Amino acid sequence: MSDNSIMVRSIPALAVMGAAGLIIAQYFIWIYAPVEATMGIMQKIFYFHLPMAWWGLICFFVVFCASLVFLISKNPFMDRLSQAAAEMGLLYSALALATGSLWARAAWNTWWTWDPRLSTTLVMWFIYAGYLALRQSIDNPQKMRAVSAVLGVVAFLNVPLVFLSARMWRSIHPAVFGSKGGGLEPEMMTTVLVCIVAWGILTSGILFYRLRQLDIKDRVKNLFIF
Amino acid sequence: MTYLIFGNIAVWLGIGGYLFYLSTIQKRLSLKIRQLEVSADEQ
Repeated sequence: MSDNSIMVRSIPALAVMGAAGLIIAQYFIWIYAPVEATMGIMQKIFYFHLPMAWWGLICFFVVFCASLVFLISKNPFMDRLSQAAAEMGLLYSALALATGSLWARAAWNTWWTWDPRLSTTLVMWFIYAGYLALRQSIDNPQKMRAVSAVLGVVAFLNVPLVFLSARMWRSIHPAVFGSKGGGLEPEMMTTVLVCIVAWGILTSGILFYRLRQLDIKDRVKNLFIF
Repeated sequence: MTYLIFGNIAVWLGIGGYLFYLSTIQKRLSLKIRQLEVSADEQ
């Protein structure tokens, strides 16, 4: 990954666009979107919770794809991409769990319940925390890359379960984008889409930055090996 | 309303914390590269 690659060159633009997008998203969240009738202003936590949850799942999908490609091609870039995406996914799913817990306290009067969606998300979080811990625990770089790629593929088995849990089992967690089009007002739908896009741009910027950092780290490490 | 504020704080602390973690790694890397450059110049 050279300093002239499109990824590296796009980092400042993505950071600026992401920051601008989040500022615009604030207008949509606090001014444009109507206050929900039942939960009141507390419902607005949803505009943070949903993008965190979705981008967390997307990051884990990136881990899966990159791990699969690594197992076929043995390209170290794919290994670095897996690590960067796993870190972002872990952060986002932790934030989705935290904001969801606050929402649950206001809506269900409990911080936590062993609902299928919540439980599968927590299991997913622990699996990917284990994935990152495993990467730190193996000294041999080749072995570490191969083992983590296998785990990166296997760990993804839980991700579709998280997504489908609210639809497949009797869950109290709302399925916002349900099979019947969801129950969101058009203004709320626009707001949540703006938030998803803004967080997506920022996520790409941070991911590319972390990739570049991991690339430099590997190159410095290789100087000592050879 | 309190929960909403806590939610906001959690999100920004989480993102900020991760960016801070990345910045400390970057600082350490830059220092390492500078040391390598100095030792290469000395050789």
